[in-house]
Amino acid sequence: MPAEGHALFWAAVTLGIYVLSRRTHRHMNRWWTSPLLVTWLLCFALALALHASYGDYIRGTHWLVTLLGPATVAFAMPIYEQRALIRRHWPILLAGILVGSTIAIGSSWALASALGLSADLRLSLLPRSVSTPFAIAFVEDVGGTPELAATCVVITGLIGASLGEVLLKWLPLRSSFARGALFGMGAHGAGTARARQVGSEEGSIAGLVMILAGLASVAIAPILAHFLR
Amino acid sequence: MFRRTSILLGRNRWLQTAGLIAIWFACEAFVRALALPVPGGVVGMALMLVLLASGRVRIAWFRRGSSGLLDHMLLFFVPATMALLDHRELFSLTGVKVLAVILVGTVLVMTGTALTVEACIRWKNRHAC
Repeated sequence: MPAEGHALFWAAVTLGIYVLSRRTHRHMNRWWTSPLLVTWLLCFALALALHASYGDYIRGTHWLVTLLGPATVAFAMPIYEQRALIRRHWPILLAGILVGSTIAIGSSWALASALGLSADLRLSLLPRSVSTPFAIAFVEDVGGTPELAATCVVITGLIGASLGEVLLKWLPLRSSFARGALFGMGAHGAGTARARQVGSEEGSIAGLVMILAGLASVAIAPILAHFLR
Repeated sequence: MFRRTSILLGRNRWLQTAGLIAIWFACEAFVRALALPVPGGVVGMALMLVLLASGRVRIAWFRRGSSGLLDHMLLFFVPATMALLDHRELFSLTGVKVLAVILVGTVLVMTGTALTVEACIRWKNRHAC
């Protein structure tokens, strides 16, 4: 099959599996039927079976990743619609982001050191809670490999989106702010997409927290770099 | 001009989506030209918020396009997750350790953040009334 055929094939497979998994998720609605998890597992299994490389796969599907940019712009609408709530509670959101970012960086560092991971991997794990473009900007300042960092970010999203749903059942959270912040801080865009399924307020807060957490990580990167290098 | 834009964008979800893509594209070009450490999408979102707040853009112009894009955001992540195909070294003990760091770390981040926000909100509500 020529390269264009490969590209078309993977785009069609991804879209097809995604549409089916969305339908299944609407019927069953469990954390393990999350479209992200199911689509990833099935595409990955198929790619392994067909001996396809990441290069083969991404050639046909890169346009999907590109759409994350316009999706970020789209967050202006739900955030603007929640402006009254945000204006009233913004110090609380900032407190959540401060605590969340500290735990994210601190826990990655401590756990990676305790398990004896290499210095490169340890640094690449630090920005795993913020979305990919921010994580790459962070790693360029602090050290570590952009590619590995992006992979850690993606695994966090994959796990976090499902994990958040389980945690929601366990934690005594009455406010939509806390539920939204949980997803936006813990699992960036993937978590935010899940938060939108929980509720529209949760979704807007998650989107705002995700973006602010990303900006915060870029802001503290030069300071961390000073201490870690 | 303002009214014509309203009528044109008000109904069509695809035109709205195309408009959002165009704004992102312009902001991405701007960010690249100045080599800013912020993604173009974030600049686009900030610009959009300013335009909405100043009344130059109405939320109805982009509501359907934005909810369409946001509804399918999980799909946009799938290709990035396939990068694991080229990181077979993660399918080993190291990978299990990385997974453990991410799993435990994410539980801590989510619990810490959510409980902080929840506690602040409850405290504020009690003292406001």
